[in-house]
Amino acid sequence: MKGFRRHTIMVLSLSIILLLLWTYPISSAEKAPYKIGVNLGLTGPYAEVCKTLKMAMVMEVERINARGGVNGHPLELVIEDNGFDLGRAAANMTKFARDKEILVVVGPFEDNFQATTRAIAERDGIINIIFCPSNPMVRALKQRWSFNIAQSDILVSQKLVDLCLARGYKKVLVFPGNWPLAQSLAEYLKRFGEEKGIKVIISKETHKPGDIDMTPQLIKLKPTIEAEKVDALYASTGGPAGPIICKNMRTLGITIPVLGTHAFGFGFYIKLGGEAMEGVEFPAGKPVVPYQLDKDDTVRPMIIAFDQRMKARYKVGADQLSGHSYDVIWLLHNALERCKGKVTRAKLRDALENTKEFKGCTGVYNYSSTDHDGLSKKDLVFIRIQGQRFVRVKFPKFE
Amino acid sequence: MTPWSLIPHLLTSGITIGAIYALVALGFVTIYRASQIINFAQGEFVMLGGIITFFFLRGGGIPYPLAALLAVILVIIIGLLLQVLVVYPLRKASVLIPLMATLGASIFLSNTSGLIFGTLPKVLPPFSGERPLEIGGIPIAPQSLWVLGATFLLLITLYILSHRMLLGKAMEASSTDPLGAELVGISRNLMVLVAFGVSAGVGALAGIFITPIFYTSYNSGTLLGLKGFVAAVLGGWGKNGGAVLGGFTLGIVESMSVAFIPSGYKDAVAFVILLLILYIRPKGILGSPFIDSRRW
Repeated sequence: MKGFRRHTIMVLSLSIILLLLWTYPISSAEKAPYKIGVNLGLTGPYAEVCKTLKMAMVMEVERINARGGVNGHPLELVIEDNGFDLGRAAANMTKFARDKEILVVVGPFEDNFQATTRAIAERDGIINIIFCPSNPMVRALKQRWSFNIAQSDILVSQKLVDLCLARGYKKVLVFPGNWPLAQSLAEYLKRFGEEKGIKVIISKETHKPGDIDMTPQLIKLKPTIEAEKVDALYASTGGPAGPIICKNMRTLGITIPVLGTHAFGFGFYIKLGGEAMEGVEFPAGKPVVPYQLDKDDTVRPMIIAFDQRMKARYKVGADQLSGHSYDVIWLLHNALERCKGKVTRAKLRDALENTKEFKGCTGVYNYSSTDHDGLSKKDLVFIRIQGQRFVRVKFPKFE
Repeated sequence: MTPWSLIPHLLTSGITIGAIYALVALGFVTIYRASQIINFAQGEFVMLGGIITFFFLRGGGIPYPLAALLAVILVIIIGLLLQVLVVYPLRKASVLIPLMATLGASIFLSNTSGLIFGTLPKVLPPFSGERPLEIGGIPIAPQSLWVLGATFLLLITLYILSHRMLLGKAMEASSTDPLGAELVGISRNLMVLVAFGVSAGVGALAGIFITPIFYTSYNSGTLLGLKGFVAAVLGGWGKNGGAVLGGFTLGIVESMSVAFIPSGYKDAVAFVILLLILYIRPKGILGSPFIDSRRW
């Protein structure tokens, strides 16, 4: 019993010493870190995608800290997993909002969580930077605390109309997913397309994100495609549904060209779809084709340098998502540098809103109090899948 | 264009997916016949078969047939472990408890697979090219024919196992009369173990055959498992023939329903059919040796 007590005391004192040693360097740092909350689905269906986002953010934060941080303050990521669960995403968001040291929350990545975290951001007054594009519903709310980092559905649809004009497609059939972003991409294509004289038919048949077989829906669409002499099918979707649609279409012998969304710009799409993906065209962010950008493109040096850093550290090149991670971290860096005096959430928000001509990987960001999407149509390029890789295509009158 | 003209196309698509439901249903029935346990991790065997093959093929650079064989063996081992570690310790508990345990095992298997092999969907190359064959003006993917062939081979194998071989009869005996079987020297635990091995093997094979058509991701086992269960009940719970018939019926009806109602309701159709069958004919299409409809 006596020996046990002595043992316990030793263990206790040792652990206290260890704890002290561990906290020592932090308390001795010159300036307190700027904390960034990260709320991502690191487990669940999008785990791999979210890990990429995390990896790129960690890399860029370490780079900033190695250079001495922002005005001497290091950046610190506080990472929480939401497990692709709305409840946990909301709980993480609330937790971050209550923690006065956290200035900004990055994430979620998923479209169906953004309405909730935006509401919490607005209620508790904390900046929320969201990876997925905004949708018409959340834009209508005119919220001041949330920012979107990806190209909005409006830009993508406008660029897609350009693609149809360049290719001379007169009639496009849309096969949309049943979630809000996929639906709004379809609606905007119809609106902008019809202004330019393109007939857009939105199919009543939709698909769910988890559908493993679209053959029945496509069989139902096949007569319409043949009767209406449709020039192209627009798969307004994301995730594995894209390659499944292409594969099922080709198996059914539907040979018309396929148009995709910017969600098609990921390597795993080509791996999943194989030959069926050949010839698919879509507008996407510039990080999809870092080395095929124009020599005088303003964001080309950023993307190439970032791509090489990613390859050196993680053995994977840059893609749209890691590009967004880069943009988030450097946008914050840029805004933090412009903050005068003690940085508060409100000051940082105003600084972010005043971001002008910021050159990131995805494009040139211009936020304002009315525009929280930042990008413009110039930040998209046309991509074609050819020879099992992404190839940039250019048209005379359209970039 | 009337909905009827779509029927031949929808039929071929329904037959393929029906074959898969049938294979999953066969796995359910095999275990139930031996042990009266409903193994809800059955869909997970299918998922693991596809994903482990992918892992060997892409990660290990092992040739396709060998990778598939290794995956089947590995999944059989997982099936045996499931019996030894989860079902065997609960052999004295009521039927409900092993059922819950297999449900837990299914969640465990799918999440572990997500952690080890990643959560993005995987696809295997088709066995014989992607170019669709034209049969009577209807394009059919060659892989669909492979799936059909495999289903019939497995069905025949299981039929021989359960009706022509001593092992199969012993398995059934230990299920219908555990005490009597023990008295004549049949080890019930061994029989249950064999049943888990067989159904894991069937599941893994199904996974390998379907991954070239339908992508397999770490969580795709759950829905397949449920549909397979519905198919097994639909056809006649506890009969191999019933499982196959139920599988094809479900696949075809599900696919055909698209011609008449919006495709968003496709998944619900399976469960509506199940309810209707249970109201009208609780024994399933072929009748079930385990369900006594007089009670209804």
